[in-house]
Amino acid sequence: MGNDTKDPFGLDALMTNWTQSMNQAMAAMAGAWPEEKPEEKEPEKGQKEGKGADTGKPGSDPAETLATAARYWQTIGSAMLAPETLASVLKGAGTIPSLSMEFGQAVLSSLTEFQTRLAENAVRLGESVDAYTFDRLDEGMPQVWADIYEKEFKKFFHIPQLGLTREYQERVNALMDKYNLFQADYAEFTRLCTLPFQRSVGVMQDKISEMAATGELPEDSQAYYQMWIKVLEGHFMTLFQTPEYVSALSKTISSLAGFTEARDAVLEDMMRGLPVARQSDMDDLARQVYELKRKVRRLEGELSRSKDSIT
Amino acid sequence: MTQFKVPVDLIMSKMAEDARQAHTRAQKASEVLLDKLETQLAQTPYDVVFQEDRVKLKHYKPKKKTAYKTPLLVVYALINRETMLDLQPGRSVVERFLEEGIDLYMIDWGYPTRNDRFQGFDDHINGYMDTMVSYICKETGAKKVNLMGICMGGAFSVMYSALHPHRVKNLVTTVTPTNFDTDKGLLHIWMKNMDADKVVDTYGNLSADIMNFGFLMLNPARLMIDKYLGFYEHMDKKQFVENFVRMEKWIFDSPDLPGEVFREFIKECYQQNKLIQSRLEIGGKRVDLEKITMPLLNIYGKFDHLVPPEACDKLTTAVGSCDTKDICLNTGHIGIYVSSKCQELFAPEIARWLKQRDGDLKNTPAPNNGKKGLARTAVLDMTENHPEKN
Repeated sequence: MGNDTKDPFGLDALMTNWTQSMNQAMAAMAGAWPEEKPEEKEPEKGQKEGKGADTGKPGSDPAETLATAARYWQTIGSAMLAPETLASVLKGAGTIPSLSMEFGQAVLSSLTEFQTRLAENAVRLGESVDAYTFDRLDEGMPQVWADIYEKEFKKFFHIPQLGLTREYQERVNALMDKYNLFQADYAEFTRLCTLPFQRSVGVMQDKISEMAATGELPEDSQAYYQMWIKVLEGHFMTLFQTPEYVSALSKTISSLAGFTEARDAVLEDMMRGLPVARQSDMDDLARQVYELKRKVRRLEGELSRSKDSIT
Repeated sequence: MTQFKVPVDLIMSKMAEDARQAHTRAQKASEVLLDKLETQLAQTPYDVVFQEDRVKLKHYKPKKKTAYKTPLLVVYALINRETMLDLQPGRSVVERFLEEGIDLYMIDWGYPTRNDRFQGFDDHINGYMDTMVSYICKETGAKKVNLMGICMGGAFSVMYSALHPHRVKNLVTTVTPTNFDTDKGLLHIWMKNMDADKVVDTYGNLSADIMNFGFLMLNPARLMIDKYLGFYEHMDKKQFVENFVRMEKWIFDSPDLPGEVFREFIKECYQQNKLIQSRLEIGGKRVDLEKITMPLLNIYGKFDHLVPPEACDKLTTAVGSCDTKDICLNTGHIGIYVSSKCQELFAPEIARWLKQRDGDLKNTPAPNNGKKGLARTAVLDMTENHPEKN
């Protein structure tokens, strides 16, 4: 860094060139105005004395202010051109691009991984499928994306937030994170739910081929439907008992709840400034009423028992 | 390559015939659907005799002189509505009970709102149920009630009977889950992994729509596709349409489930199976099934996919009662109450059983020879042995 002979288009070279040209421009600007020597300059005739006296005071005239600023810039610019200073400045300036770079790298590596796993899955296409078995539930693309999201992207929504709006920003980030997680789980759940349809079509094809071979094809379209719905029902019943389905169902429900919770938190933040009761306020109230009711019921019971014991 | 003979011409001509029939059916169906349809539920007259918060106590107007000393309180589940017991005239368990001369009360749990999210087992069983039983005893002069529970309401009735045995003369449980340690029903499989805390903490109550979606997902091929194709094929028949719409109304007339009840039901029952082991605690007291010493009639469906027989049939051996009976009907979860065949058997059987035990204890039969854990089991096949009379 700081060696523009190595990379004439590098950030350090650009910075050096820009600072030098700015220095030159500022020097020209500073030179455009006369030197600060009001005593050497004779007041012109008819010029007010006061004004002529004022020109020598820094900041008293716009032109002089600019000239001063230009000189300040020259000073700073020269200091910046020192190699160690330039390196330090460039190091700070590189922070944002490096974050973007990291994000870009995550996207690229994810795409590559996604493509690889897509290719792996594509190889399995056309392999035979056994009816009513779901013991080889291929890893679906939604799950691949979910894994990549967890590994590569999730962390960006967990970058620590700072300052006055930290909590609000964290909740917005959490909402985006939970939304992505829910979408991934929901996509996987939907994929599983479509499997019985896919497999039923395959089984139907086999059945129809068999019947056609033996000349037993029904003439009634209803018969085909009845056959299909039975096969479909059987596939669903089998799928629903697989650990993969149970897990996907449970994860989808949980991630939907997580997303809803995060969404409600953001909405509550937005409602904070409005003159309306929020859900959490109403829940607090409901809990108080509930506890009071229980207390009253208990006291009524105790009172009743006391009365009975007296009589 | 094998040459198959496919009767394409026949298939196509059949499809053309089907299309013609569909056209005619659609014309007739428009007349049916635009006509006035009788789809009202729960038409048997009743009075709301007591109400606490959202919970109401219905008292059905007797059709004949009461033939029982002990009133019957029916406790329905908090899922769906008790109107299922009174679908329509002629297909109503309520009607049957009244015809038998039973003094009938029923709890209507109402529609829980977010305000009810903190109400759990204790509030429903030691709170509402106990208050209702007290009211009935006070009004009728009876010292005890006969208690009949349905599904989750049956589990509540079991819990109530164990906690307040002095208030229950006879206990009838129908399609009641008490043993949750089984993988026969999909609900039992799915609920094992359910994060109930997360759901309740987020939503407060369990939304009826989510529950209904879950029930549809138990058999999507039949409940989301085949059922509506069946409707399409018969929508030119007025009575079919009326029955179908009535059932649809009942199925989707679902209250939300109070969050704490859901949490306790999932964690304590489905996941830890505490009820059948007498380890469940409600309001600081243990639900000890040994304290259920009153007669117990336990009815369940052989083809029940929501509450399979394995979830029901352990109860009679777990309770302290010497007078227990299991009846396994060859039907499903809802069929017990709504199928025409079951109508002929279910309510009359309960009425008969209660009648035998309505008198003083000395007259009560002791079918298990006074020994606990020897429940009689009857499997009633209505399909073959009890053909429809009509």
